[in-house]
Amino acid sequence: MKGSEGQTNNQVGGLLSSDLPFLVTAAHELKSPLALVRQLALGLESAEVDTATRERILRQIVLTSERALRLTTDLSRSSRLENSMFDLEPINPQQLCEDVAHELTPLYAARGRKIQVASHRGSMLVVANYDLLRRIILNFGDNALHYSNGSEPVELRARVYEKGRRVRLGVRDYGPAVPVNAWRRLRQHLGTDAQVLHSRPQSSGLGLYVAGQFAQAMHGEIGATRHRDGATFYVDIDASTQLKLL
Amino acid sequence: MTKKQTILIVEDDDWLAEQYGRVLNEAGYAVEFAPHALAAMDAVDTVRPDVILLDLLLAGPNAFTLLHELQSHTDLASIPVIMCTNSADHIADEDISAYGVRQVLDKATVLPEDIVAAVKRALL
Repeated sequence: MKGSEGQTNNQVGGLLSSDLPFLVTAAHELKSPLALVRQLALGLESAEVDTATRERILRQIVLTSERALRLTTDLSRSSRLENSMFDLEPINPQQLCEDVAHELTPLYAARGRKIQVASHRGSMLVVANYDLLRRIILNFGDNALHYSNGSEPVELRARVYEKGRRVRLGVRDYGPAVPVNAWRRLRQHLGTDAQVLHSRPQSSGLGLYVAGQFAQAMHGEIGATRHRDGATFYVDIDASTQLKLL
Repeated sequence: MTKKQTILIVEDDDWLAEQYGRVLNEAGYAVEFAPHALAAMDAVDTVRPDVILLDLLLAGPNAFTLLHELQSHTDLASIPVIMCTNSADHIADEDISAYGVRQVLDKATVLPEDIVAAVKRALL
């Protein structure tokens, strides 16, 4: 190799700095799905496309548009967080994971991937707003989509920790390990700045930023763990004491 | 019958890769796919592509890792590379001129015929 890993990442870092203004990052992230939709639509113009392929491309356009719309809806929702009232209520995180997995299954299936929920014995509740927490996990699920292979499903997992005071909802994916320096940069800005994820280009740094805002609004925080074969993005949220009172 | 020239498509979005592949197939080329730089290095070894169509931002090691690797082998350094990226407007010629990149295409504006034309030019 001519150069080191650090050099190559600096080159890309120079092309797309993580310190880009928020609007530039947002524009870059929305450009990707729009460019894909455009290419797919151009593909439909070809006389060589048979009926089955045409239907598949149309489905891809719909799913790509829906994913982009989730991001724009999240952005819009995050800008109104301070002014809006939202209820914090006891929520079953296991059920929420099931709901998100169900919602993302069509997108995963179309990409030839799988998503599943890890089983959990016993009851747990978190104090959260259902819509905000759902959007956080959807975001992680969207990001994980491209970092799983056909045989290793992306897994949603809810676990109690800190002696029952907190619950961690995580999304584990499998794929090429993120280089250490890129991971350090990701962790540094996670949830606090919109950033372009150089080593996970199909992921949304903007989505992670918004997820961080949603988590903060519920007194929670997001985090990430790097694995040899992928990553886990998670949100830590207060457990509800309601069950203990029963 | 002459052997078809092979284009290696290095693109981590499989739907986009499929579109490029279909267009290039229709133009008479054989195509191989690699979703990331590591898979691309393996594919370069096994299929010896005539042209590489390369995205910039890839999962794990990025495009420059692959470009470095190609340039470090005398028999691979001459493989023409066409970059197709959403970040085309951020790429300066001086950043890529040493890596055998013949052309940079912007994913947001490129037409199917532009990809075929770029491949044809690279093969001249």
